Amino acid sequence: MSGLPDGSAQIGRLQLKNPVMPASGTFGYGEEYASFMDLNRLGAIVVKTITLKPRVGSYPHRSTEVASGLLASIGLQNVGIERFLADKLPFFESIKTPLIVNIGGESVEEYVSLARSLGQRARVDGLELNVSCPNVRKGGMHFGVDPEVLRDLVSHVRQATGKVLIVKLTPMVTDIRPFAEICQRQGADALSLINAPIGMAVDIKTRRSRLGKNLTGGLTGPAIKPMALYCVWRVCRAVDLPVIGIGGISSLEDALEFFIAGASAVQVGTWNFINPRITLDIIEGLEKYMEEHEIENLSEIRGSLAGASA
Amino acid sequence: MEYLILKNEKVGENCYRLTLDFSSARHLPIPGQFYNIRCTDTMDPLLRRPFSMHRLTNENGIPCLQILYRVIGRGTEWLSSRKQGETLDLIGPLGNGFLIERRTDVVLAARGIGIAPLCAVAEAVRSLAPASRVHILMGARFKDRVFYQEELQRLGNLYLYTDDGSLGFRGRAPELLLHLLETGKIPRTCSLYACGPAPMLMELSTLSERFGFEGQVALETHMGCGFGACLSCAIPLLPSLIKKTSRWTKSALQWSEDGDTCYSLICKDGPIYDIREVDWDEWLA
Repeated sequence: MSGLPDGSAQIGRLQLKNPVMPASGTFGYGEEYASFMDLNRLGAIVVKTITLKPRVGSYPHRSTEVASGLLASIGLQNVGIERFLADKLPFFESIKTPLIVNIGGESVEEYVSLARSLGQRARVDGLELNVSCPNVRKGGMHFGVDPEVLRDLVSHVRQATGKVLIVKLTPMVTDIRPFAEICQRQGADALSLINAPIGMAVDIKTRRSRLGKNLTGGLTGPAIKPMALYCVWRVCRAVDLPVIGIGGISSLEDALEFFIAGASAVQVGTWNFINPRITLDIIEGLEKYMEEHEIENLSEIRGSLAGASA
Repeated sequence: MEYLILKNEKVGENCYRLTLDFSSARHLPIPGQFYNIRCTDTMDPLLRRPFSMHRLTNENGIPCLQILYRVIGRGTEWLSSRKQGETLDLIGPLGNGFLIERRTDVVLAARGIGIAPLCAVAEAVRSLAPASRVHILMGARFKDRVFYQEELQRLGNLYLYTDDGSLGFRGRAPELLLHLLETGKIPRTCSLYACGPAPMLMELSTLSERFGFEGQVALETHMGCGFGACLSCAIPLLPSLIKKTSRWTKSALQWSEDGDTCYSLICKDGPIYDIREVDWDEWLA
């Protein structure tokens, strides 16, 4: 008996030493945060969405601050799979934290091709499918809001890779549960939610969008936490897959809310920009919290929401 | 990192100068670099605010960082109410600094609070090449908005301007510089350092091409993180000029597949750019 509380999380066959990871798109390719913390402390690292070809991204004036939130249209700017494998992946050889690569595409074939390329790399532990990017014209959100399209995509990617497969869901649907069920039936190992819902902000002086020519953006930050929590709670009751909660987490208390709602792990997004060490603060806070409350295993908290029948 | 506030003085209409005890700083900034500062105790405003380093000073043996800022919103309003003895949460130094080189004539062109990163340039030029002539162009819309004259007079030849002519030259910084170049008060071999609104910088870049002088600009924009992770602060550069003119390492460039578009992150590759490499038309569109 070590006497230490067990805060580990199981995502498919991936055992994470703790349940905290950064959310895709808020942690660059990992190296951006190396000067702020020891990346080995993280439960996992999820990198920015990679596409088959490099993407220059959205027009300038990509983000604007709103009440307790950030509205942003980055448009999946990324270096593309070729340069990711050549220039970005080697950095991860120097750290031991499990690596989850988020992938996005404009067609099923593109996702499959990405899954195959990454599947050959031993350093890549898992894939997270971005089926809900709010800021690209082709693909993106399309895959996450049509049940048939999602079924086809998850089924093909599942056949293409043996890596741990996570599907990142959007809240921009009437009922998120059927989408979660589809992922489970098609063999996904886990779900992560929510991706950013779409929002707008208008400059009343110029009567232009505060995101310029981009017009709309994905809303993130504390503003979306209640919505995220609701979606996580609903999905956890609908499927048996582990759920990774995402949306407005800025503290240990926020993370605990997600665990109580049923999440197996959490991803921290926008708050990384405000406190680049927030993931570590939550990890350390959780250890202390479990000791103080004599919680031996995180499963004692997970899904423990009171009065949650019916 | 938390730093102690030693002073937070008003130096002009809505303008303040913050002095922080920097004795615990692990890295010191060079002119042009910036800090991302948390300007709240709550979630409003959410994001940090970027401020350029103004000057490094020494207050009774304590190494200090000064930040010069204007109150323009909730973040800077909060900042202006901070008192001596309180602490501030800073990330930095971030970004690339100005390149300081030996030149006989150096021009610092600012509008309003744009003067903030330029004073340290004057000091750096003086220490590198004491014989250099430093010309400072400073102004605002009207007289009461012009501030910091006494400080600036100590740093070089000061030329003031106002849009309405209520103080100094009537016109804007590019018009004043044009006048000084045409009358021979500033030679065409000068080197320009500029900070201010983007349209002013764009006009200065036109002058730089016309007269053939070199220039560096400090840009500002909304930022999410300040350290290259959120990809918010993209600015279009002119693809044909990047390789030719840029003297900074640019690690955060993203090219379009056809090579016609190139975005750079201001926080990581900037905030200092060669005046001619920025695609002003596209950025201001």
